[in-house]
Amino acid sequence: MRVRRTKLECVILSAALVAIGVWAAPDRASRLVSVQQLPDGSDWCMADESSATNPSSPSPDEKILFSALRRDPYSTLVFAAQFTTPNVAEQERQAAEARAHGARTPVRTIRDTAPTYSAIAVDVNSNEVILQDNNLWEYLVFDRLAPTPTRSDEITQPKRIVKGDKTLIEFNNGLYVDPVSGDIFSVESDTGDKMVRFPRAAEGDVAPKAVLHTPHRVYNLAADEARQEIFATIEFPPQVVIYRKDASGEEKPLRTIEGDDTGLDAPHGIAVDEKDQLLFVSTWGHHSNFRIAGTGRWYPPAIKVYPLAAKGNVKPLRVITGDRTQLDWPAAMKFNPSNGDLYVANDIGQSVIVFANAAKLQGDVPPARVIHGPSTRLRNPTGVALDLTHQELWVSNLGNSSATVYPLMANGDVPPLRIIRSAEESKRGVNFGRTAAVTYDPIRQEILVPN
Amino acid sequence: MNHPQIAIFARSAKEDTPYLRSIEGQKSLLGRTMHDIAFDAIHDELVVTSPLAQAILSFRGAANGEEAPLRAIQGDKTQIKGVGATGKVSIDPIHNEIFLASPDQAILVFDRMANGNVAPKRILSGPDTQLSLGEQREGGGNVPCIRIDPIHNLLLVPVGGYGGGKVLIFDRTASGNTPPKAVIQGPVRMGNQFEIYAPKLRLITHTRNNIEIWKIPESGVSTEAPLKIPAPLGRQSGDIGIVLDPLHKEVIIATAAGNNIMTFSVPEVFDDWPAGGPLTSAAPVR
Repeated sequence: MRVRRTKLECVILSAALVAIGVWAAPDRASRLVSVQQLPDGSDWCMADESSATNPSSPSPDEKILFSALRRDPYSTLVFAAQFTTPNVAEQERQAAEARAHGARTPVRTIRDTAPTYSAIAVDVNSNEVILQDNNLWEYLVFDRLAPTPTRSDEITQPKRIVKGDKTLIEFNNGLYVDPVSGDIFSVESDTGDKMVRFPRAAEGDVAPKAVLHTPHRVYNLAADEARQEIFATIEFPPQVVIYRKDASGEEKPLRTIEGDDTGLDAPHGIAVDEKDQLLFVSTWGHHSNFRIAGTGRWYPPAIKVYPLAAKGNVKPLRVITGDRTQLDWPAAMKFNPSNGDLYVANDIGQSVIVFANAAKLQGDVPPARVIHGPSTRLRNPTGVALDLTHQELWVSNLGNSSATVYPLMANGDVPPLRIIRSAEESKRGVNFGRTAAVTYDPIRQEILVPN
Repeated sequence: MNHPQIAIFARSAKEDTPYLRSIEGQKSLLGRTMHDIAFDAIHDELVVTSPLAQAILSFRGAANGEEAPLRAIQGDKTQIKGVGATGKVSIDPIHNEIFLASPDQAILVFDRMANGNVAPKRILSGPDTQLSLGEQREGGGNVPCIRIDPIHNLLLVPVGGYGGGKVLIFDRTASGNTPPKAVIQGPVRMGNQFEIYAPKLRLITHTRNNIEIWKIPESGVSTEAPLKIPAPLGRQSGDIGIVLDPLHKEVIIATAAGNNIMTFSVPEVFDDWPAGGPLTSAAPVR
């Protein structure tokens, strides 16, 4: 049982932090250890948000690569993989070797050994479910009808896993599956700034069949199959970028939606309504102009509706926002063209909320249906997929390494029809998504980790 | 960044240990990307930025779930600028001040209790400061982490980027166009965060493979080499985070791309060193 600290104890502990040298008794004197210094820095891959080079501007080598890809996309693919590889295998090998030669080994490591499922898609032609793993940098393909594991410690075996340095997959967050070819499109929320595309049958550590350089901070994907266009949300500077679906290399977007009038304040989920020619974008409300000091503010979360062909600094046609919407870090969205329902993975709401007749909605409207409650097994749902052939709704759960499937018209505290599970039944994931800072609470002896 | 939570773990947490609680959701006002975070053990609060909204947030130390911050500094008087540049924040809990570096080559200092649209209480900026904090760019452009030594009244500001540069050392209360009083010549390599151990005047970084311990001069230019302790991380990237646990003599590392938190026992950071330094060096690995 935790003992509640008094204010005085807190102050004493705090003082101890800044005066801890007093505690260093002679018997705690330094000891001799073996030291083998390792090379640092410049030879390591560093394509992240904070790198010294601008991630949104390709390096000269990257320009050469993408130019080559445009000219001859197939013969240069191996080169592409080698150039932008995350280099995980080599990093792990070097660390193990150094530790074997006396380098310090961590006394504890906090990490998740199970997948963190950020997105989901269904391929009805192959009867497969694809799950993005943002933690271990892979995607896994499961049989759509895989039964729920019967034992609490049993997991669902995937049919295929695509993972490894050649895949270029890093912090993969957005997913789209071509309904005809089964090609799998994957984008990442950080570091690599690219969309990679794999054939349906891809397996193991394989190079993507295409690589597209994207802006930094992509969140999600959607497509207009009639126009063969693919849409991506960019969290910041906020925009929606629209490419040819077959775009690769350094190809520029066909158009973008961006500007102060758009109301794209930290856009996340995106869904296409081809029937009504509309585009839905969920926003979290974080707003600022990074070029101008003091422009920051927050707006409520919302779903903004645009013409599908919108371009430039356009105002949304309608905005769905307000307390009755229940939006709370809304993530992926999918539109059902057969009845006009819009499904929203509602991460912190621990729910999937469904807006009926979404093409006409505006203002503070409640969802028509809410899938929520302990029977649902939802935990931080961030991905949704619709299987209209089998009338099923799939959800990826960031917080428990699972995917859950429901009847398409499910409502309330309903149990899943089946569960794909990649960890034990009681799993609670740590939900890490690039742990780039840390602090320590000496009062409670706790480690605080922001994503 | 698909889920910009702050997860809180027991110090003893290991692989697959769930977090004790998490600060998250719309009410928290959190968003991507938190490149720094500070705990104020005197007032039992934590401080972090919300970069996409150009804001500094202060939470209860025991904040849990979808909890609103106690205070938020945001608005046109604040002079807070950038996005990646707004990812770093530091606190001096003894003197009740919050420090934020700006891509306008300035250090903004706010009262710890500031709330809303408030101006900085002082600004350190100008050519004599030698500040070179990077520039805000379209896709990135982060400023360096800064730290305060409240015992010796020092403000430490790295310049020169991740590849390794100098660390400028100012008087804690410096403002205006004031030159640094001391410099660590370096090159001091670091990730997103560095730490200081004020009682021993030491600066600690992790440079992807090694923990480095530098002596902090109070005046003049120090060209002394750091003590290097090999501590490789495996899968990682340059945005490494670091914090100290003096009570247990541990250094805690956030590995960025590694998606994990590694704790190393490093008494050398906290202990007195015998003459000649605490370590002997073995042959290189390769």
